[in-house]
Amino acid sequence: MYKIFTDFKWDSLRGRIYKPLLVMKLTLLLLTATFLQVSAATYAQKVTLKVKKATIKEVFEKIQSQTNYDFLYNAEDLKGAHNITLKLDNMPLKQALDVCFSDQPLSYSITNTSILITKKQAPTKLDVSKATIRGTVTDTANMPLPGVTVKEKNTTNAVITDSKGQYNITVGDNAVLVFSFVGYGTTEMPVTGSASVNVKLKETNTNLNEVVVVGYGTQKRADINGAVSTVGAKDIGDKPVLNAFQALQGESPNLIIQQNSLDPGATPIVNIRGIGTTGNNDPLVVIDGIVTQSTGSLNTINPNDIANVTILKDAGSAAIYGSRAANGVILITTKSGKLNQKATVSYNGSYGVQVPDIMVHKIGAAENAYDKNLALVNSGLAPAYSPEQIQELQNEGRGTWDLNHLVYNAPLQSHNLSVSGGGETNSYFISGGYQDQMNLFVGNGGSGSNYGYQKYNLRLNQTSIIGRFKFNAILNYTKSRNKTTAANEGFTIADANRVPSNFNWQDANGNYLTNPVSSQQNALGLLREGGFNQTDYDEVFGNLNGTLTITKDLKLTGVFGGTLDNNGSFYNDKAVDFLPAGTSANNDLTVNDGNYKSNLFNTQLYLNYTKNLHKHSISATVGVSSEMYSGRGFSLSKSLTDPTLGTPTTGTTISPTGSNNSIGIDANSLLSLFGRVNYNYESRYFLDFVFRDDASSKFAPGKRASFFPSVTAGWVVTDESFMKPVTNTLNNLKFRASYGVLGNQNVGNFQYETTYFNYTAAYGFNNTLVGGAGTLQSNPDLTWESAATFNAGVDFSLFNNKLSGSFDYFNKVTRNILQSPQDVPSIFGAGLADANVAKVRDAGWEAELTYTLRSKSVMQSFSLNVADNKNTLLKLTGTATQQINQPDVYALIRKVGEPITEYYGYETNGLYQSQADIDASPKIAGLAVSPGDVKFKDLNHDGVIDAKDKTELGNPFPRYTFGFTYRIAVAGFDAMIFVQGVGKRDEFLRGELVEPYQGGYGATLYDHQTDFWTPENTGAKYPRLATSGPSNVNNWQTGSDLFKYNAAYARLKNVNIGYTFNKNVTQKLGIQKLRVSLIGQNLATLTKLKFADPETTEFDSKVNINSSSNSPRSYLLSAFYGVGIDLTF
Amino acid sequence: MNFLKKLFIAVSIITAITGCKKLDIVPTDRFSDATFWKVDANVYSALYNNYHLMYNSGLYFSAEALSDNAYSRAGDVAIISGGNATAATGKFAGDWANYYSDIKSCNEFLTFVGQNTTLPKDVMSRMIAETRFLRAFAHFNLTKWWGDVPLVTDNITPDEAKVIPRTPKADVVKFIISELEAAIPDLPSKDALPASENGRITKGAALALEARVLLYQGDRMADVVTVCEKLMNDQSTNGTYSLNPSYTDLFSDKVVNKTNNETMLSLQYVPTTYTWSDFFDFAPLSVGGRVISNSPTQELVNDYIMLNGKGITDAGSGYDENNPYVGRDPRLTATVVYDGYKWDNGGGVNGTTKTIYIKPGSDPSDSPSNPNGPDEYVGDRESSSPTGYYWRKYFDPNALASYVSGLNLHLIRYAEVLLDYAEAKNSLGQMNETVWNQTIRPLRVRAGFTDAAALDYPASGDMTTIIRRERRVELAMEGIRIDDIRRWKIAEITMNGYAHGARFSGDQTTDNGYIRVQKRQFNPNRDYLWAIPANDLSLDKNLTQNPGY
Repeated sequence: MYKIFTDFKWDSLRGRIYKPLLVMKLTLLLLTATFLQVSAATYAQKVTLKVKKATIKEVFEKIQSQTNYDFLYNAEDLKGAHNITLKLDNMPLKQALDVCFSDQPLSYSITNTSILITKKQAPTKLDVSKATIRGTVTDTANMPLPGVTVKEKNTTNAVITDSKGQYNITVGDNAVLVFSFVGYGTTEMPVTGSASVNVKLKETNTNLNEVVVVGYGTQKRADINGAVSTVGAKDIGDKPVLNAFQALQGESPNLIIQQNSLDPGATPIVNIRGIGTTGNNDPLVVIDGIVTQSTGSLNTINPNDIANVTILKDAGSAAIYGSRAANGVILITTKSGKLNQKATVSYNGSYGVQVPDIMVHKIGAAENAYDKNLALVNSGLAPAYSPEQIQELQNEGRGTWDLNHLVYNAPLQSHNLSVSGGGETNSYFISGGYQDQMNLFVGNGGSGSNYGYQKYNLRLNQTSIIGRFKFNAILNYTKSRNKTTAANEGFTIADANRVPSNFNWQDANGNYLTNPVSSQQNALGLLREGGFNQTDYDEVFGNLNGTLTITKDLKLTGVFGGTLDNNGSFYNDKAVDFLPAGTSANNDLTVNDGNYKSNLFNTQLYLNYTKNLHKHSISATVGVSSEMYSGRGFSLSKSLTDPTLGTPTTGTTISPTGSNNSIGIDANSLLSLFGRVNYNYESRYFLDFVFRDDASSKFAPGKRASFFPSVTAGWVVTDESFMKPVTNTLNNLKFRASYGVLGNQNVGNFQYETTYFNYTAAYGFNNTLVGGAGTLQSNPDLTWESAATFNAGVDFSLFNNKLSGSFDYFNKVTRNILQSPQDVPSIFGAGLADANVAKVRDAGWEAELTYTLRSKSVMQSFSLNVADNKNTLLKLTGTATQQINQPDVYALIRKVGEPITEYYGYETNGLYQSQADIDASPKIAGLAVSPGDVKFKDLNHDGVIDAKDKTELGNPFPRYTFGFTYRIAVAGFDAMIFVQGVGKRDEFLRGELVEPYQGGYGATLYDHQTDFWTPENTGAKYPRLATSGPSNVNNWQTGSDLFKYNAAYARLKNVNIGYTFNKNVTQKLGIQKLRVSLIGQNLATLTKLKFADPETTEFDSKVNINSSSNSPRSYLLSAFYGVGIDLTF
Repeated sequence: MNFLKKLFIAVSIITAITGCKKLDIVPTDRFSDATFWKVDANVYSALYNNYHLMYNSGLYFSAEALSDNAYSRAGDVAIISGGNATAATGKFAGDWANYYSDIKSCNEFLTFVGQNTTLPKDVMSRMIAETRFLRAFAHFNLTKWWGDVPLVTDNITPDEAKVIPRTPKADVVKFIISELEAAIPDLPSKDALPASENGRITKGAALALEARVLLYQGDRMADVVTVCEKLMNDQSTNGTYSLNPSYTDLFSDKVVNKTNNETMLSLQYVPTTYTWSDFFDFAPLSVGGRVISNSPTQELVNDYIMLNGKGITDAGSGYDENNPYVGRDPRLTATVVYDGYKWDNGGGVNGTTKTIYIKPGSDPSDSPSNPNGPDEYVGDRESSSPTGYYWRKYFDPNALASYVSGLNLHLIRYAEVLLDYAEAKNSLGQMNETVWNQTIRPLRVRAGFTDAAALDYPASGDMTTIIRRERRVELAMEGIRIDDIRRWKIAEITMNGYAHGARFSGDQTTDNGYIRVQKRQFNPNRDYLWAIPANDLSLDKNLTQNPGY
């Protein structure tokens, strides 16, 4: 059997590198056969031996041939064995072995089906002479170190230093003392007769010894040559976060997390190293080794269950994930129990309130009436308000019609309980989590609980070790429910904002009032009684994996896992009575029930081999993987349902267009072969090779397979002898470089063949609906996009490892980008299948720096990460060099040579101050502008402002992203401050909050709009008021950088101040750890953008040029103030 | 331990099985090229997709605001009507793509339908004829707006689309006419159409479109007469058409709108399932409107004659500028909502009448803190009309909330054929009492005129003006006016200067107190043709731009 495995390992793979399927089948067949035999084997097996002066190796081979057992030994050890002459007849195995080993310098042990041969240990001398040794352990700054373990080598004899760093241990003769302490280097000191041994411990860069999950295996941090970031449970645990996105934001340079909605439960946008492609930019998320379908899985996982996160950024590290790795990979490992650890019960909980940050304030109604008159007069129109009316508005004062009266300080709580522990052969981790985030909007839509988001998590992780076999099972169940208003959230906010401040939501009798401005809707009434929208999400995640230690160098791992999703939605709108009666868009009592189910399975089998030979270390991984995804859904829509229950009743109709079965049927699969070889010499010179070969169902036969290789190298300069003089200061310096090709296959399925779909509502004949059939055009040549990435980095640590950091530079060129071709005129008449057309360069850098300051009683650390990336479109499609989308008066442009998507329009040049100024300036033809109107730059100097003067106006993607964490621990107190931000980003905003009285839609001004030009206020920021006519056309109907805002910001994201009670006190209550904390989130923001959240973007992860423009009407940002408790038994 | 081993074995077997999943996955909710056309039901579905792409309510109503009949305050329609359009104007690209998408769908149909071997031959020829009609209609719309356009008669590839040149307008028109004539024999007459197929294309529709296409050319009036006479005089072959007794019911009555003898081609809708809701942004706020995106102009209102047949400016018309809506063509009330209008909810659930107060300060509900009632004209309030008029035509008393309506939108009515005939005859110098009594008179009778002075063949007056005015008011809100002013080459007059609203201006000295709603410009050297969309121009090197862009 031993033979079988070794044969298989090299020969069968070598010849079949392009046939992962066959390899996989064979391996599994063999593996299954093996285990079937194992279970049949017993110690009762009999052996017959007849040998004369045989070497012990020959005896092993004979026994092996008669039983199911194989022998594991180090050939070196067998050299001392003498030859054997024996005659045994049908003797039980154990007895036979006893005879064979009777006078050999070897011993044996049986584990499962292996017989492990070891050298007999020389009998330890029972030395009776003892001596007592004392001493003090200090750090390099001569500060005493309490809690250091002092152990007599090769014994279990150990003590711990006291608060003064002193110890006292009784040891035998010639003893060697081992001093060890977390965060410091382990030091051995021989006892040389002296009764006193004082030791100075050096701080180590523990970081370097950290084991990092790198995909199908682990590596020591020090051995990694690629661009890999890790985020530990500690970084996540201190934040009162609700999902993994919040936990990761700002923790790793160039891991850019943005939001396009702040709604509870919304999935943020995540980019690693920015935008590398015009196609899909979502990174691959892998949880416990199982790939997931989308970044949404970061939303469902309980952040408290995360043990660590690895972010693979470059080709060197990510190539093991091949065709999906071009946008980087996020590897999440969840917590597990530890062997030989008594059961620990932990609870952590927090409770607090979310305080809405209302950034928009209306001006008073009287002032507004005055300004409105001014705007009308400036537009050549008659004033709308008489002085008497303005006085009346002044007397009337403020009403309740604003955002403040639609929101409240909504509670937010989170509770997590976990139990973990383990015996000698098994360990477990069980956790349950509960989150309840109430929505900031008041009301419940008419029935049930208030708007809000709840999430439940349950996780089990069980590991068993049986001899050389380790089995691990992980199960996770997540349930979430999100209830929101049935009304459109954006219109709710817009309606609250755009009505002048004198109006009220309700009269004295509680009637919901309407007014001519708000489209005859009352948002408060709709929130309270207009129905609701509810989504229910259930996810089951499972991972069964087993690792067989074949030899001490070779391990075989099999993994089977996946995710089952069930996504339910329920929408029910209800009629609301308004006064005077208005149009509630919801009066048809529609109920819409929808559901989407999907499953994703992932199967893997891989071998890990490690070998250290003198100064050479080699480790290798080779494996196969299969993934398959499928999903389908349905929806049912009924109108005129029961007004209270939403159930069908007399007159209820089914909507044939809103009701569908088999929606979004989708399936895809991927088969892969992957491998990795790591080599190092003296842990000083490193060379790695990683590859993956994927075949995807998304492409036509012949276009499916692709090979993704990468190579990396590393050099620890500080290990060189010539660096010796400086290594006291420069403790570690490592240069790294990698180059490789990664893929991206993230496009819709089945695009390689033309397909026809039926749909329900095409047309009608004689008042009867008929269905239609549409065509989806195909592209049989569709294949992977590939990203060639170069990465160069340096890791360093200085001053006894107090200061450590890393710096990386990358340059990635993505070719054959999968996107819709832009070179086909619309005369073609149909949408096009995606094609491999565009090319993008994404280059940038990232830096991390951590400084740790330890003194006797205070521990402080400062961590900073900063990154930048810049993308450039190198090719759009064929000869087409630009694409313009006009979501508003300003446009978005995608242009070769420029960042992927930019704002586009006219550049402003201040405001006209006088008629002379106007006369002397180039203008838009036909517009009679006035002083106070916007002046534009005549970029082509032709004396007229026209389309030829349009230019790129700004980049909406964040540059110079950063995160800063400060921690301090002193005398039971600890504090953490986390600041995160963006150094440069342009944001264009539109709508009533930007343009005064926008298109007649907005009816009031806001505090932030009042700096407009008047003859008395010539230094104004904004042009003179005008609601129509040439001024309005010039200022607000001409897309320019007038709409541009600086969305750079630094936000105090998290503050956490805790106190841990003295262990001596709490232990009397049976409590290991008791920590209470104060938690603050989003406490302050430094930004120039005052009336909208600078963190929110209108774009998705690919800065889609077809995105609609941002009229800041999204869910409100809130600050969180809460308390937390951590309890461990 | 045994349990775990068994588990591991089980896992391994599952792994082995799932690992065998093939990469050749076939979509289970779509047909492939090989199977689609063989299924009869699919051929019908493909045909209905051709219908689906024919036209839409947005195109239908926005056309009105491009003309001097209406004003739209925002968006590309305002830019085009203001004379500020460029090759980058979004509506040009959108409409262009819209028409070519139907052409693509039709060409795919004509290319592949032969793969079906099971449909009866006559059924197949009829479907082909319908598709050829639709393809011709799309080309007609293209050439109407852009002049010379790429004539796409094959199922072209993306690469072919990159090099296709423009075909001269005359050749495009020749193609349209020949396609329509080729389709007519295979199309059923309206009378032969079973009720269930009400709305399918008929001989009558094809002939009426042919009449319109010929009329628009300006130099084919004799042919217009020929075609119109087929429809007027050979109804046993081409379908029995007549004017519906009620003008209003054609646009508002849920039964008459769908089943009448006047409709020749309608954009078909189905209540609650296949609908349009443009009226949500036409109707006054107090009767369920939202924002006003399209409203009638004073210029349109002025063209409604008096009940005595005289224009409002004619001597002895009896028109009173201070009481302007009295004694007017009844079609004014059927089409336009004016100050003091008695809004009839149409006998639906509410069955009530409401007065629409538009004149500033006229609404009894006005109060100091809320000085302007919901429908009153206020400078530039989005929720009230900028012209002081609202649309009434196509009001659907049976609409759902948000004016979700299933009423059909008429593309060609028999009334238009009569007007085509009158215009062609007049332009051939053949207008006389007989023709008048076949055309204008029945239209006016149906509209509700009773005064002989309005009904009888006029002894005096400019016949061209009379016919054009009749055409304008009869077909108002149906998207025809913009075509007419362009082909009559009067757009440079009607689309230059201010478009006006009612006499509610704060400044009663300018334009006699009529609201100036938009300053319009029309460059006769440029604006009679739309710009070829800039993007297509840059992607197809064989395209050329129209003059002036």
